[in-house]
Amino acid sequence: MLDNIFDYTLIPSTIKTSTPILLAALSAVITQQADILNVGVEGIMLFGAFTAVCVSFFTGSWLLAVLAAIVVGLLVSTIIGFAHLKYKADVFAVGTVINMLAVALTRFLLNTILNASGSFYSAEIVPIPTIKLNFLQNSQVLNTLFNNYSLFEVLGIVIVFILWYALYKTVWGLRIRSVGLNPDAAETAGLNVFKAKFQVILISGILGGIAGAHLSLGYSRLFVENMTSGRGFMGVAAMFFGGANPIFAWIGSLIFGLADSIGNRLQAYGFPSQFVLMIPYIATIAVLTISLASRIRKEKKQKSALNHVPNNK
Amino acid sequence: MRKYDYINALLSILVALVIGGIVVAFMGHNPMEAFVQLFNGAFIGKFNFGTTLEKFVPLLLAGLAFAVSSKISVFNVGVEGQLYLGAMATAWVGFTFSNLSKVVHVPLALLAGMLAGALFALIPAVLKVYFRVNEVLTTMLLNYVAQFLTSYLVNYPFSGGTGVAQSPPIYESATLSRILLPSRANTGLFIALGVLAIVYWLFYRTTVGYKLRSVGLNPDFTDYIGVNSKKVILGGMMLSGAIGGLAGAIEVMGIHLSFLDNFSSGIGFDGMLAALIARNNFGMVAIISFFIASLKSGALAMERYTGVPKSLIDAIIAVFILFATMEGLFQLRRRAKKEKEVDEHVG
Amino acid sequence: MDRIVEMKNIIKEFPGVKAVDGGQFDLKEGEIHALIGENGAGKSTMMKILYGLYTPDGGTITVKGQEYGGLTTKQAIDLGIGMVHQEFMLVEEMTVLENIILGFEPKKSGNRIDFKKAVEKIEYYIENYGLDIQLNKKVRDISVGEAQRVEIIKTLYRGADILILDEPTAVLTPQETEKLFEIFNNLREDNRSIIFISHKLNEIMEICDRITVMRHGKHVGTVNKEDTTIPEIAKMMVGREVFLNIRRKKPEVGEVLLSVKDVYVPGERELSKIKGISFELHRGEVLGIAGVDGNGQSEIVEAITGLREVEKGDIIFKGKSIKNLSPAQIRKLGISHIPEDRNRRGLNRPFTIRENLIADKFEDKEFSDWIVLNEKKIREFAEDLVEKFDIRPANIDLSAQNLSGGNAQKIVVAREIANEGDLLIASQPTRGVDIGSIESIRRVLNDLKKKGVGILLISADLEEILSLSDRIAVMYEGRITGVLDNEQATEENLGLLMTGGRIE
Repeated sequence: MLDNIFDYTLIPSTIKTSTPILLAALSAVITQQADILNVGVEGIMLFGAFTAVCVSFFTGSWLLAVLAAIVVGLLVSTIIGFAHLKYKADVFAVGTVINMLAVALTRFLLNTILNASGSFYSAEIVPIPTIKLNFLQNSQVLNTLFNNYSLFEVLGIVIVFILWYALYKTVWGLRIRSVGLNPDAAETAGLNVFKAKFQVILISGILGGIAGAHLSLGYSRLFVENMTSGRGFMGVAAMFFGGANPIFAWIGSLIFGLADSIGNRLQAYGFPSQFVLMIPYIATIAVLTISLASRIRKEKKQKSALNHVPNNK
Repeated sequence: MRKYDYINALLSILVALVIGGIVVAFMGHNPMEAFVQLFNGAFIGKFNFGTTLEKFVPLLLAGLAFAVSSKISVFNVGVEGQLYLGAMATAWVGFTFSNLSKVVHVPLALLAGMLAGALFALIPAVLKVYFRVNEVLTTMLLNYVAQFLTSYLVNYPFSGGTGVAQSPPIYESATLSRILLPSRANTGLFIALGVLAIVYWLFYRTTVGYKLRSVGLNPDFTDYIGVNSKKVILGGMMLSGAIGGLAGAIEVMGIHLSFLDNFSSGIGFDGMLAALIARNNFGMVAIISFFIASLKSGALAMERYTGVPKSLIDAIIAVFILFATMEGLFQLRRRAKKEKEVDEHVG
Repeated sequence: MDRIVEMKNIIKEFPGVKAVDGGQFDLKEGEIHALIGENGAGKSTMMKILYGLYTPDGGTITVKGQEYGGLTTKQAIDLGIGMVHQEFMLVEEMTVLENIILGFEPKKSGNRIDFKKAVEKIEYYIENYGLDIQLNKKVRDISVGEAQRVEIIKTLYRGADILILDEPTAVLTPQETEKLFEIFNNLREDNRSIIFISHKLNEIMEICDRITVMRHGKHVGTVNKEDTTIPEIAKMMVGREVFLNIRRKKPEVGEVLLSVKDVYVPGERELSKIKGISFELHRGEVLGIAGVDGNGQSEIVEAITGLREVEKGDIIFKGKSIKNLSPAQIRKLGISHIPEDRNRRGLNRPFTIRENLIADKFEDKEFSDWIVLNEKKIREFAEDLVEKFDIRPANIDLSAQNLSGGNAQKIVVAREIANEGDLLIASQPTRGVDIGSIESIRRVLNDLKKKGVGILLISADLEEILSLSDRIAVMYEGRITGVLDNEQATEENLGLLMTGGRIE
């Protein structure tokens, strides 16, 4: 039975469960790099998921659906940007409110636009395509491992590297990071901190919109009230796990996805899944605590009067 | 709260209601009628008013819990988790001890909830004080830990065995009496109002409050006058957690009568928002919580009588809160360069 | 040599203070020009005006032939002015290279940073001026001296030929200072001009061409190095005004009250670490501790009052060790403390006057019952102190942030003196305070001494030290460089000790 839980099919299932978390994590990474904790990812995602299902249902085009989700993501993030940057609202509060608004408004629109309550499914919803590699179909193992991934399950990984590149290799990334790490230094270097922060909030909106579209049209093919059910927050947690670095956040997302997959299987066999699901959260706290504890130790040593040559290491 | 904070809150309510009215009109309903039904649904009749009070209690307590932590400059996003663990501990005391008299059982159950909440809040406080780990992060993550832990408990060791994920029902001796039947409002209301009074008294009339306020405003000063700021922060967070735990305890003892998996669905966050709008002023927390509770319970009735969906009111509440969290949205305040220079010079 | 900067009749007011009043300054091409003065003399304000951080309330600034009423930072940078602040503007988590190019990055295709080109340009400065730095290290991992060189390169990289350095040597070890001066020389040879703000007279004599002295916001004089001596400059700096009217009596020295024995204390900076300090303080005596800020004065005070850990050595008060006791325990034993920074530590600014006055006593039996504050007693106590110390406005329910510097400081003094301790540690007791309050605070200290209280007075203001202290210890780089009786002490020899010199 343990064999049934821990077999090779766990790998594709982990990738599938981790992708919505990864996309959310990337959305949180980009703002965190400019020192903005965007917990509104959850709400942006939910708006995106709803928009995508609607547009896909009415137009029959998954591409239009994804684009519409992106536009909605941009709109919502614009609200977050103005509220936080211009009107000095606490960013955590704004994020939380956006999440509330998303749950209520999508439920309302589900009733009024789609005349459904609770959930909406239709054969006319066109999903985001999956990538089919015919030559792999001969081997069951290879087929399960490498075939039939939804578009964003692959693109998500590409975005990880694009973000990494943009953040650490380009002029733009250097400036964004400096704004997050030391806004005074950025300001004296002649950078516009407000503009830089607004930019990343908008990008976060785009990524959040994609995350939502993938959730409702790639990961599944329907809309359910509050269907994000904490995936946005998991993304934020994965971002923390990875210290706002896209690649480490990806690893964090995989850990969350893995825990989720194992949890589901345990549940199916009647075992408690909660402890497995808890692990990534506790691990994130542990990682943070250990890294800060070592920094404090180092600082203490540096300040010590008994330490004679700290300046020439 | 300064004067323009009140103005800000009032105008936010007004703008949100106007937006809501327009949407209602667009849907082909009469906005005036909808608002009348909303009002009636919140206040007219025992059941309606009872429902408002029922929703008001946990909001008030969660809001107070958050406000208490804010006063010591800790951003306790973990009220939700403290509420869950408090509720669990209370439920356990409630369904385990069978032959206690009400006079003993009720306080014991309440205390258990407060203790659990306080201890759970101590974790992020210790991590913040001794390791400088950001408490927003830890409390947010610990909320999930609390949720999974209680979910495990009511699904396995403490399962009520009914097929539903919930604990066995608590004994009658541990329940809070209902008031305003048939609503589920209960004597927890008086406990919550009592907590409001005690917290106010504690903060503004006692040595404990002096230390708490002092550390929130200036920890360096606090250490210098001979009060250990670290200990005060730990104590303050435990107080915050205890209030959060109490919110959970009352939900169990007065409303659900057992621990229901995942029962809160965001009370802690709603309370946090109420406290943020109230700028952590205890009295205002009560007023804002009451307002939000009225809207929520009124929305149920409005949906019944006018067909305007409840989700719209939820959206309007969100819009109201969004406006209310923005500082200076309705007035223009510009800081001149000169002012900034002076700040630097003084600082 | 041409004058590339000329500042005339500069006026800058902050509420309650004229920070600069008729400031004059000029800079020739290719010179190193020192701007010196005591704390609060207006040096930094003058330079912040030149760099465009402050707008002057009067006067003109002429840079490279063009006259301005005031500059913006951007204008200043475009004119080739660069400033190295006392607090570095560096992103700790980034590399040295990234910090230097931030905002002025050379680009390749795809918006990529052209690190190669950047390095080439920076190498030029490194080689030509001897500014050795490690480009690929994170700023967090480099020494203070290196961080300073990074700041200098940053300004050069942005095209500066006029460099302002605000007390650059305050954070450096002697070896690093020597290295910095070599760099200065190289820059001077390359015809770049340097404005050097400092307190340390021997350093100034070593490196500068001309010296401008400021005192109380006013221009005292500008002299060529060749035409002056260190004692002369010290006199210009401190001034020769009549001491404020305190008649210091020869003390009737009592028993030893406090004795500090070979104490080691961790410090925020290398130079402020306490490395083996010993001294004794008697009843009825004022021991002054003189020194330039940041030489460990804050650290030793914090160590005695329990706010900072003592790593080695012992502190004995009234015969008992108080080493590493809690601040509360130390207060209870009878040590009062007027802290150096009233806004950070001395006061809780949003609190009312009443709450600030009762801060160390609210838990006493007199003022609270179990945990309940006795508002009536507290009010009486506060009213009484407000009257006795003439704190204005005399409204005990007013928040302390609404008070002027002098009145705010009186709250701190009143609270600490109401303690009736045996030892008072007074750190910069009159900093940023108006003349009237200075006088009343000094009188209070003098009266306390007469009652037999021991006072440890820490001040960067030599005049204050001289007018109040019976003995004077001078601190330099975490050690005591000399202890003088008041009668032996002059501004000249104190100035020497303060700047690392010796008295033969």
